[in-house]
Amino acid sequence: MAINLAFGALISLICGLDRVAILQIMISRPIVAAPLTGLLLGEPLVGLQIGVMVELLWLARLPVGAAVPPDDTQVAIASSVLAIVLGQRFNTSGIELLLLCLLIAIPLGKVGQYFDHYARQYNVRLIRYVDSALDRSSLLVAELQHLRGLTSFSLAAIGTYAVILSGGLLIIPFLWPFLQQPLSYSSAWIQLSLPLVGIAVILGTINVSRAITLFCASFCMSFLLMWLV
Amino acid sequence: MCLFLYVFSIDVAGVEMIISRKTRLHIWFRLLLLQASWNFERLQGIGFFYVLLPGLRKLYSKEKLLEVSRKYTGYFNTHVYLAPMVAGAVLKLEEDQASGVADPTVEVDDFKEMVAAPYAAIGDALFWGGLRPLAAGVALFFAVKGILWAPLIFILIYNLVPTWFRTVFFVRGYRQGMESVELIQKHRLPDWAIHTKETAIVVLGGLSAFMVFTQLTQHQLPSWLGLLTLIPMVMLGLVARKGLSTLFLVFITVSCIFLIGLFWADVVYLFTSWGARE
Repeated sequence: MAINLAFGALISLICGLDRVAILQIMISRPIVAAPLTGLLLGEPLVGLQIGVMVELLWLARLPVGAAVPPDDTQVAIASSVLAIVLGQRFNTSGIELLLLCLLIAIPLGKVGQYFDHYARQYNVRLIRYVDSALDRSSLLVAELQHLRGLTSFSLAAIGTYAVILSGGLLIIPFLWPFLQQPLSYSSAWIQLSLPLVGIAVILGTINVSRAITLFCASFCMSFLLMWLV
Repeated sequence: MCLFLYVFSIDVAGVEMIISRKTRLHIWFRLLLLQASWNFERLQGIGFFYVLLPGLRKLYSKEKLLEVSRKYTGYFNTHVYLAPMVAGAVLKLEEDQASGVADPTVEVDDFKEMVAAPYAAIGDALFWGGLRPLAAGVALFFAVKGILWAPLIFILIYNLVPTWFRTVFFVRGYRQGMESVELIQKHRLPDWAIHTKETAIVVLGGLSAFMVFTQLTQHQLPSWLGLLTLIPMVMLGLVARKGLSTLFLVFITVSCIFLIGLFWADVVYLFTSWGARE
């Protein structure tokens, strides 16, 4: 279990940095981060299922200017780790546990937004260090201050992962016996609803005239085609 | 990789390039770390200074270098994929200033401030608002089918365009300096942003239909029921437009489905037990 949690932390760190600080090649997107976690922990399909459900949820929240969107990366990674670790503990592989882990992780992921906010606030101190390094004519020190910013983003990523994970490990074992059966009646529909809610939010917030018309036309056409074929 | 080697290997006849290819590559790699010290006061300010420093070192001696460096630690914010173009153009302008061929009426600082905000707006609309949902929509078709290559498909589709921008536009920015702005106008990027968003909506419409149809088929329910999905989806979209958070919408939707599931299970149980008594 400890190895699984450590692997999760490693992915959380790498993907957390890709989110803002370095690269931005989108390995931080849930559709990549969650299956990657699953793959390292030996259950890639669990990660893929979680990735599908989380990917579209906050896609409409753009990281524009100083806006900090919710940390869907850590939600996807931590819920994948929780689903795999607790699945082994309860000896179950159904969608119900996966959903419970995700539904606990989603509100806990809100913490990530605060951590991310705090990291960016902490980095304001670096400006003072850079300015004083330049006053001392030390370009190398000024240059290195920039890389110090990576520490705060790393801590924010790991902190969010730790909060979601510890919250999940505390809450889920307590709730699981009560919710396992009731969740089984609606699990397939909840699984379908999460990406659809994400698409609906994109539809509502995307800045395109006739967005709803285009969406409905595309939906109906595709539906009719699938029905006819 | 081929694009990368090709772009950095070309030197155009008639274009003076004081900053060597090696230094340009160094700057390009530093651009991947542009946001490492992102903060609420100067946003990408320190990052932009960090990116330009290897180039500035080639252009200025110690005292002047310190003076110029101070200029670049100030406020700066643009889209991360269009920052290479700004960096390239700024380097060219600094190069001209250092060699004394620059137009004295043009301040490099003014140019940087002038282009940063419009580039940020174009980049946000094109990449975050358009390309990302589009790539996600396409990759999710594969993911829903259980194909494990879906993440790789997402990364490939998404990164094609940004990689192009990051490399080609950096080199063009450096070659053309201030005139690189015309490149954005020539490629009509704001129009492309709208087209990409529209395509993303169409793909997401198809994806929704595919997921709903698959679910109904698996549960052996009549297919026409799927068309009713449009009603709650459009309603949720309209509610989201009013500013309700995704978290709240997820909570409401999941709670409703969970309660309906429980109620339906009870109804089925009652009918089954009633049928058994008959």
